[in-house]
Amino acid sequence: MEHLLVAILNGTIYGLLLFMVSAGLTLIFGMMGVLNFAHASFYMLGAYIAYALAGVLGFALAVIVSPLIVGAVGVVVERYFLRRVHRFGHAHELLLTFGLSFIIAELVKLFFGNFPVDYRLPAALSFSAFRIGGTDYPVYRLIMGAVALAMFGVIYALLTTTRVGIVVRSAIFRPRMAEALGHNVPLVFMGVFGVGAALAGLAGALAGAFYTTNPNMALELGVLVFVVVVIGGLGSLEGAMVASLLIGVVTSLAVGIDASFADLLGVIGLGDWARAVGGPLTLQVSSLAATIPFALMLLVLLVRPSGLFGDKS
Amino acid sequence: MRIKVILLALAVMALVAAPAFLSAGLVNASIQMLIAALFASAFSLLCGQAGMLSFGHSAYFGIGAFATIHAMNAFNGAGLLPTPLLPLVGGFMGLMSGIAAGWFATKRTGVYFSMITLALAELLHALAPHLKEVFGGEAGVSAMRMPAWGFTFGSNVEVYYLTLFWVLLCLVLLYLYTLTPVGRLTLGLRENTHRLRFLGYNVHKLSVLVFAVSAMFSGVAGALQALNIEAANYVVLDMQLSASVVLNSYIGGVKVFLGPAIGAALMSFFGYAVSDLTRSWLLYQGVLFVLVMMFLPDGLVGEIARRVREGRFGLGWERLSAGLLFAVALALSVVGFVCAVELAQRFFSTDYRSMVVGATWPPVALFGREWLPFSVVTWGLPLGVMAVGLGLLSFASRRLDPERGGAS
Repeated sequence: MEHLLVAILNGTIYGLLLFMVSAGLTLIFGMMGVLNFAHASFYMLGAYIAYALAGVLGFALAVIVSPLIVGAVGVVVERYFLRRVHRFGHAHELLLTFGLSFIIAELVKLFFGNFPVDYRLPAALSFSAFRIGGTDYPVYRLIMGAVALAMFGVIYALLTTTRVGIVVRSAIFRPRMAEALGHNVPLVFMGVFGVGAALAGLAGALAGAFYTTNPNMALELGVLVFVVVVIGGLGSLEGAMVASLLIGVVTSLAVGIDASFADLLGVIGLGDWARAVGGPLTLQVSSLAATIPFALMLLVLLVRPSGLFGDKS
Repeated sequence: MRIKVILLALAVMALVAAPAFLSAGLVNASIQMLIAALFASAFSLLCGQAGMLSFGHSAYFGIGAFATIHAMNAFNGAGLLPTPLLPLVGGFMGLMSGIAAGWFATKRTGVYFSMITLALAELLHALAPHLKEVFGGEAGVSAMRMPAWGFTFGSNVEVYYLTLFWVLLCLVLLYLYTLTPVGRLTLGLRENTHRLRFLGYNVHKLSVLVFAVSAMFSGVAGALQALNIEAANYVVLDMQLSASVVLNSYIGGVKVFLGPAIGAALMSFFGYAVSDLTRSWLLYQGVLFVLVMMFLPDGLVGEIARRVREGRFGLGWERLSAGLLFAVALALSVVGFVCAVELAQRFFSTDYRSMVVGATWPPVALFGREWLPFSVVTWGLPLGVMAVGLGLLSFASRRLDPERGGAS
């Protein structure tokens, strides 16, 4: 029971982190029609910059400054790279961000080496918040969850209640009309791109210290984020939220399950046959945890091709 | 047209004659180039002609490779599948997996399609280490090339000719495919699916077909790779391979039939040539790709083909001098950039960091010279050369292409 509770908590918080990254991606897609392949690279960049700054500025300040730098990088990417290839079409924009993600990964390897770096929590933050049964629950996980939730409270409030939010939403909904009414839509695009990048950077700066910070983290998370937006429906914030939490909880639960398909078949008396067949049937669910998001995605595609909250395309 | 045929015939003759003039290492590199060229052509059938950008093509390459290795072990070179016919196995398994994966992936178009292909490839990549019987775990699976039809396949050169035969055959088949009605419909998939649907074609079936054909030829490329190195490891399913085929194809230019093949062959040759000199080759590859995407959207070969078509190689004195200036400026920028990157690579490497004792930073060794890590000259020289090069480049491109208003 305690294990279940811990697994669900961990999964929820991981899901919130996923949401921090996928929210920016889905917003940018909804607005510009650009799938930003480099979005997860901003996440990685956030972690590495925070790691580099943590030695100089201290952990807390590094976590604040790093997203700002990543946001600036995002603005540069939008202004000087994406805008230039815009006239060649969306496929070109996707390819350009793909190339940029490749370059960012190689630059990270160049400066920090092709191995995990020692980016970790300050001792002051690594204590346990409470005990569930026999396990200590680290307070830092709660902080990550709280920051993610707070961030979304702020962004949601900004988008729904302020004048800037109205302009942004109108630029997403009908960019031409918003432009005709005298709003500077390219500036809005650049701003949203920068904020999305900064959010991914913040997620990276927070999560990098808790999980590992290595040159592969962008790809590992990036693939999951793509799965999230496909399941949730591209361009939908609610969809991204539900799908992130779903994937976070399901993978976190799956890691704790020791059974295999053979055990399941054993219930109806086919256990020995399954064990004799071997292969995928005897793999434990825990070792399949990494593949479950993809299986979920295929399932959603079969049942509801536009995603849980997506419009019909 | 006649010039094209003559050029192609010359290229094929050069490929056939090549092993007589090349060292063993270069023959091996040529095999890699041929395989990369075939893989890129198969990939561009999907992304260039059908307009479906796949980010997970290494999966079909890998499936072809593993199928071939298992077939080598199972048949032992005897029976119906002697060594020269083994690529058929790779092609068949590529086709089958292409039908299955393509059925899912082509349910959506555009960026969704790209993400699904990526996720499918990652699914296989995540699953592979756990399926030890099929993918052999960390060690991979190995096999032996058996003699057949009077060839021993013991030497590099025989493998080269086997690879050359299959690659040329597949390229011819791929070209003939573009001439068939299905090939024309493939272009229709890229240009306007709504219209195809309106004309009564089953777009989903057609997309699956194109996907499967592309996966089949990728499988053949994987099979040739397996035959060449006599082993397969699940590393082949890695994102790295999918990424490099995207980069190489677009650097060459996917809209011209031979563009991706030439791009891939060139890039893998450079990869081989500089792999001893630098560890930053992938970075250069990425930078080249982004530059091509930004300034030459048709790719290198595509740009040349376009200029030839438009007859824009007029050799006036004016253009010649501007072209020369452009070349010099390009060379300066490249030299400056490469020097800066290599210096940074040396400076940030762990080898160098371990030599630092206390506050004394030893000089960085590069190009046979010692560079002081904190001197202005060390960093200013390459960056300055690059800045001058870039400035000249912008000036020269304005003179070369006044109507484009200076693309760089």
